[in-house]
Amino acid sequence: MSENISRRDFIKLAGVTAATAAVLTGCGPASRYVVREPYTKMPEYTYNGQSTYYATTCRECAAGCGLVVRTMQGRALKVEGNKYNPTNLGKTCARGQAALQGLYNPDRIQNPVNQKGEEMDWDTAIGVVAETLGKYQPDEIAFLTGLAPDHLFDLFGEVAKTFGAPAPLRYGALGMFEARATLGEAARALFGQPNNLFFDLAGAEVTFSFGANFLETWVSPVAYTRGFAKMRQGTPGKRGYLVHFEPRLSQTAIKADEWFAIKPGSEGLLALALGKLTAEHQGKVIAAYEGVDVEAAAEAAGLEISTLERLARIFGNSRHALAIPGGAPLAQSNGLDSAKAILSLNALAGNLGQPGGVFLTPAAPVNDGYHRPATVRELALLVEKMASGQIKALFVHGVNPVFEIPAALGFSAALDKVETVISFASFPDETAVRADYIFPDHTGLESWGYQRLASGAKESTLSGAQPVVAPFYNTRATADVILAAAERIGKPLPYKDEVAFIQSKIESLVTTEGGFHAAPEINTFWAQFQQFGGWWTNDEKLGSPTSAVLDRPLAVRPAEYQGNGEYHLFTYVSPILGEAGANKPWLQEVPDPTTTVMWNTWVEINPKTAETLGLHDDDVVRIVSPFGAVEVSVYLYPAIRPDVIAMPFGQGHAAYGRYAEGRGVNPADLFGGAVNDAGDLAYAGLKVKIEKTGQKKQLSRLESRIGVYGYEEH
Amino acid sequence: MAKNHNIPEYKAEWKAGEEGKWGMAIDMDICTGCNACVAACAMENNIPFVGEEDAGYGRGMHWIRIERLWEGKYPEVKTEFQPVMCQQCGSAPCEPVCPVFASVHSQAEKLNVQVYNRCVGTRYCANNCPYVVRTFNWRDYDRPEPLNNQLNPDVTVRQRGVMEKCTFCVQRIHKAQDQAKSEGREVFDGEVQPACAQACPADAIVFGRIDDPESRVSKLAKQGRGYKLLEDLNTLPQVTYLKGGSHVRNG
Repeated sequence: MSENISRRDFIKLAGVTAATAAVLTGCGPASRYVVREPYTKMPEYTYNGQSTYYATTCRECAAGCGLVVRTMQGRALKVEGNKYNPTNLGKTCARGQAALQGLYNPDRIQNPVNQKGEEMDWDTAIGVVAETLGKYQPDEIAFLTGLAPDHLFDLFGEVAKTFGAPAPLRYGALGMFEARATLGEAARALFGQPNNLFFDLAGAEVTFSFGANFLETWVSPVAYTRGFAKMRQGTPGKRGYLVHFEPRLSQTAIKADEWFAIKPGSEGLLALALGKLTAEHQGKVIAAYEGVDVEAAAEAAGLEISTLERLARIFGNSRHALAIPGGAPLAQSNGLDSAKAILSLNALAGNLGQPGGVFLTPAAPVNDGYHRPATVRELALLVEKMASGQIKALFVHGVNPVFEIPAALGFSAALDKVETVISFASFPDETAVRADYIFPDHTGLESWGYQRLASGAKESTLSGAQPVVAPFYNTRATADVILAAAERIGKPLPYKDEVAFIQSKIESLVTTEGGFHAAPEINTFWAQFQQFGGWWTNDEKLGSPTSAVLDRPLAVRPAEYQGNGEYHLFTYVSPILGEAGANKPWLQEVPDPTTTVMWNTWVEINPKTAETLGLHDDDVVRIVSPFGAVEVSVYLYPAIRPDVIAMPFGQGHAAYGRYAEGRGVNPADLFGGAVNDAGDLAYAGLKVKIEKTGQKKQLSRLESRIGVYGYEEH
Repeated sequence: MAKNHNIPEYKAEWKAGEEGKWGMAIDMDICTGCNACVAACAMENNIPFVGEEDAGYGRGMHWIRIERLWEGKYPEVKTEFQPVMCQQCGSAPCEPVCPVFASVHSQAEKLNVQVYNRCVGTRYCANNCPYVVRTFNWRDYDRPEPLNNQLNPDVTVRQRGVMEKCTFCVQRIHKAQDQAKSEGREVFDGEVQPACAQACPADAIVFGRIDDPESRVSKLAKQGRGYKLLEDLNTLPQVTYLKGGSHVRNG
């Protein structure tokens, strides 16, 4: 079903849509305070031809950037950044921009349905949820949620508590790729608190990034991009220096002054060697670096000792030096040691709690504990319980575990053993299509909510979400469904609906001084919370780590690799698609920043390596690991180590709508199940084989094919 | 490139000594190539997506693209990101070749505008554009329902056979001018932001009046790092690029 729109149709359509939206109004408590009226009864703040702007929070990743969405007559037209929100100060990334293609996605789930695809009414649906919650023992129920939204994670936590069920697990592929638990564990070991860290890029003179893709997907890319811009051009006459260590030239590496393609798994050893040389250069004797073998580290990384010495001088000479550990180095068998080694460079530089240094992310205004994503070790426990039939009911929200959890962990098979699987997905993703019931939640732009920040802002911040349009389909807020179900089986929570729940959580902030806004009572505060898109402190609330780590020797053992292939597989999250952007057609058509490929997956191979193997651009090869195999087109990437091949994560969906399904491959299918000391998946320590298939499939790319006359050989 | 003698003796609305009106400065030192501008532009301007096959054939409709050109060989290989959109040339090569005056210079805005309902699709303008920023509607592209709900009513939806390109978000310029007029004042610096500049997380794209020496864009363009694309063609682009970093090793 499609339509080509003429100008006249377009004008007609605008009218029809407004009327349709009016009909859909009032479909549940979630549309509380959001009422669309027909033309004849327009709300007084709406003028024909004038836009209304609503502040809300982006849900395309969990960073919690503030958005302002332009709407007109009940339709959302354009996503813009919220200039007040301290996370992104009015800016957005490509994924945020495309959020509307989620809201208006043609493949959304429009009604509650059972596995046969039969539509149900919401009353029956709530009955099913109530029955499921009542039927099983508390420890037979599991909640699996995404990294966003936080308010629902909090509510699931309270529901689980009320029923005596285990606390919800939260998971997202981004969390896995960034090995967030490892960084948290290293922070606990070094700084005493398992906290999220904030790296003050803006104030740094010299930054050593160990595979941290902070301009792409890492933790809070919009905030770190702002930090990067300030570091480069924020102070007249000063230009921050960025050195990046990563096996391939990533988007972040392209922006670095120096890029070193080091061997995967050698990052920690390299950090220790740099620490030792820096200390020597500064004339210090540091216990932490005793027994560090610089020569061995240089060899492991594939760098000259003279290069290391030069880099150590750069680092040691700066008064504002910073070291950032990225995701891939931590997702190695030695990842936890590497994280500590890299973080120790900050202690050596004396930047803890100093401008241009390392801070602890401010405590959130609501429920301020650090709710990190589940590690793969924790997930494996869940999978085991599911497979053994111990888990009888699984509730899934905000995550697509069949796609996002690497196949080697066996989640997919274990899902069949669970008696009742209820998905709250908005889209027919791989997990939803296998669930017993899909009770679709509103999409992010139709929802109430709040989000805490993993990092990004110096202020203690709670990003607030509100519906910018009335729910487009017959969906219902998951919070309302759960609350209604709990009430129906006689274990009510003290909240009338989702809005009441959120209001009860932010009640303590109403009169709090030092906030961006305050009010004498909740209703005024709530109005302001919606108007400004959340609440945050005026002052910086960063914590300062205190360290004693340099007193004890640090050691990083060599990385162990799974698989016996010739090539290291380097997997990174697609900077454009992220973990869940594949169903948005315009994100598919935005070229990848490094390869300019659109609409597909590729494998990056160094041209030298390809020559040896007799491979050319667009040749289809089979990448084989002990755990799986995928077939993918070759992209000759001139800036990758010859012994490394790289693939982006984000495509390879077996479901998830017409734009995602059957497109590209999922490199996570190649991963094994080995974990590091913190329980995160050691996906980066994988060696694979390349097999020729003799086939060719052309990749769509922007480079060399620009212009209306199409493809030319260059 | 040798001096190009093929540019006709054509001055459009350009008068000697007269500056353009609106311009852009793009700082390549802080552009991270994140493509937020590309997505923002598509969302604002009702740009259709064309699908894998057409996109691979060079028929993508991006009004702005990030150029990425390689220099050197591994491991001394490097590249830079450069956003390229219509440069709104003061002496635009696309204008004199249009047989139906669809590609013309607007007197009011001093912008190069494309009049969609004049365009007959000869594609001469794209042929003559040295920046290769014009895109052509080879088909009527599908926008399955309900994706059409996000169409921006301020921007015309184009049909098959029509050439299109970056407009500097002229609808936003007009909106700001109307607003200022109704409030009896001038448009202030920074009031107009095209979608790309508004989204840019690094704030690498700055837009404003280049005939006002005090505007942010004028000041940036006057920095020593500024240059124009293919300056020797004398197309008088209104976009100034600020050179990237030094890449000098300081050890």
